[in-house]
Amino acid sequence: MRSIGVVVILAVAITLSISMLIARDAVNSKINSVRASSGNTITVAPKGFFGFNGGGTPLTQSSIDALISLPHVTALQESLSEELSSSNTTLTSPTNAGALGSQFGQFGGGNASGGSNAPGKVVLPIRVIGTNSPGNALVGGANGGGTEKLTSGTTFSATSKADVAIIGASLASKNKLTVGSTFTAWKTTITVIGIYNSGSTFADADVLMPLTTVQTLNSAANQVTAATVTVDNIDNVASVDRAITSKLGKTADVTSSQTTVQTELAPLNSVKTISTYTLIGAVIGAAIILLLSMLMIVRERRREVGVLKAIGAPNRSIISQFIAESTTFTVLGAIVGLAGGVAISSPITSALVSANGGSSNTPSGFVRGVGGRFAGGGSGFTPPSGGANVATGGPLHFGGLSNTLTQIHTSAGWSTLAFALVAAIVIAALGSTVAAATIARIRPAEVLRSE
Amino acid sequence: MLKVQNLEKTFRTGAGEVRAVQDVSFDAHNGEMVAIIGASGSGKSTLLSLLGLLDSPDHGSIDIDGVELGSLDSSGRTKFRSRQVGFVFQQFNLIPNLSARENIKLALEFSHWPKEDRDRRAEEMLEMVGLHGEKAERRPAKLSGGEQQRVAIARAFAAKPQLILADEPTGSLDKGTGQKIVQLLREAASTQQATVLVVTHDEKIAKQADRRLEIDDGVLKEIA
Repeated sequence: MRSIGVVVILAVAITLSISMLIARDAVNSKINSVRASSGNTITVAPKGFFGFNGGGTPLTQSSIDALISLPHVTALQESLSEELSSSNTTLTSPTNAGALGSQFGQFGGGNASGGSNAPGKVVLPIRVIGTNSPGNALVGGANGGGTEKLTSGTTFSATSKADVAIIGASLASKNKLTVGSTFTAWKTTITVIGIYNSGSTFADADVLMPLTTVQTLNSAANQVTAATVTVDNIDNVASVDRAITSKLGKTADVTSSQTTVQTELAPLNSVKTISTYTLIGAVIGAAIILLLSMLMIVRERRREVGVLKAIGAPNRSIISQFIAESTTFTVLGAIVGLAGGVAISSPITSALVSANGGSSNTPSGFVRGVGGRFAGGGSGFTPPSGGANVATGGPLHFGGLSNTLTQIHTSAGWSTLAFALVAAIVIAALGSTVAAATIARIRPAEVLRSE
Repeated sequence: MLKVQNLEKTFRTGAGEVRAVQDVSFDAHNGEMVAIIGASGSGKSTLLSLLGLLDSPDHGSIDIDGVELGSLDSSGRTKFRSRQVGFVFQQFNLIPNLSARENIKLALEFSHWPKEDRDRRAEEMLEMVGLHGEKAERRPAKLSGGEQQRVAIARAFAAKPQLILADEPTGSLDKGTGQKIVQLLREAASTQQATVLVVTHDEKIAKQADRRLEIDDGVLKEIA
């Protein structure tokens, strides 16, 4: 009965440790996947900048260039966003404002049409993005944030000063432009060298030009309206974010997806911490239980040990017998505990996450775009809807993320089995140590004298 | 042959020093059964511990068949004890979760008796003490006191030791059974050619021995 009791207590402790291990792994996996999905980029925009709604003072390119020298920064993409209206270009926007554009837009008047339009008639301007990293934008990479693909022509280099442009497919179609065609912008003839397609009419209405060219044509030398900093590792995003904020001071809004994610993930980090400490506590507890049980067993069988020594049993023989006994207890406890831990890991994980406020009330699917009238505004294009993508500008939420935080999938793999094995060995070893030392100290003469 | 010379053992207690064994010297031959008589606290159990290498003397020597035991280290003493010394206790002290046969085989295992010969030797010992059939497979709790002591004797003689130390072997048995056990010890001493030292306070038991020694306050003397 005593042996069964010891095994049951060990099984309970190991069940707790296994369930905590699985919960910890599941939560950790969730944290990593959320962090990975949020990317390793940091966006920098002028303080208060809100796209073409204005706000803020352009950043100087020299101050942004200096960011590349920060530790862990692997790439830097700069852009200057400008608008083309009928007064300074021969291009016509392919985008129809529609009822919503008329309701919310403020494109009439001088802003987009030079005041030639009747009041209330909405004419969308054309966005021009000067960038020093067209390649990243066009392949929809980390800096681009979109799904744009170059469908014809070529791209320009990062340091290009040429009067060239890559234009969206819908803009090209509207204006009957192909690669090699020209159009006028800011009284300069611009040659189309490439056409891209993103599948979005709005995004395909943009013009992409070399950063230096846009700066020159707009008399905006040394100005940028957005920068995207790429960090070598997700783990370093927070530190680089702090370094950029420190370097640029009050002139810029620095936004990293990781910072927002960290806030969202705080409850999961709490669960991770709790499960880690509980795991360690359960393993230590199991070792102490076994240690005390074995000590009790050795004390009870002191006479037997004395007799075994008297009839010639060496210490190692007796100790190995007790170690075998404690190992048997532990292995049985580990088998039962492994099964129990796997069985209860899912409800325990859910309970821990719920208890730590993992259930958020943030509305699902709410994505606050950035950049005022134009979503985006960075050197990338319009951010895809939903998800955790970040362009530039103000605060944002991650659509649907909060609700998925509680949806944690638990599973036990080889690592769990390996942990159970290692834990069993550690528990058995710790539990046997004091018993072995006690056995070694037993003197048969004293035991038999007390007969 | 057992040869003990000038053996001394002193314990330090809160009340001062206790000279449990004082200048003890005696000889005992193979096949001989010697009874050691003494009152409680006279030092007879301490003497038995010294002779059984369970304790170390402060002075003196113990020689068994030419081997001076004082020269052995801890490991050597354990090895010597497993092969050359057998114990029979008042409370039998069999291993409770082993059968009678397994208890005997355990002693053979500790003495490194050839593995393939252990079953035969265990059977031989069971025959010697008169335990037959299924009783050999019983655990100690399922045996009577006399039967348990028979198993203990079989275990003590199993590895063919030179010296058997029996501490009050009849103390937990009724008179009739006690007589049979002493008789068994006597016969075993003769057939196995071992020296048997029996500690007892029972004069009738002691009279069955070949020789009688009396210990009083640690001092040993021969009784005519």
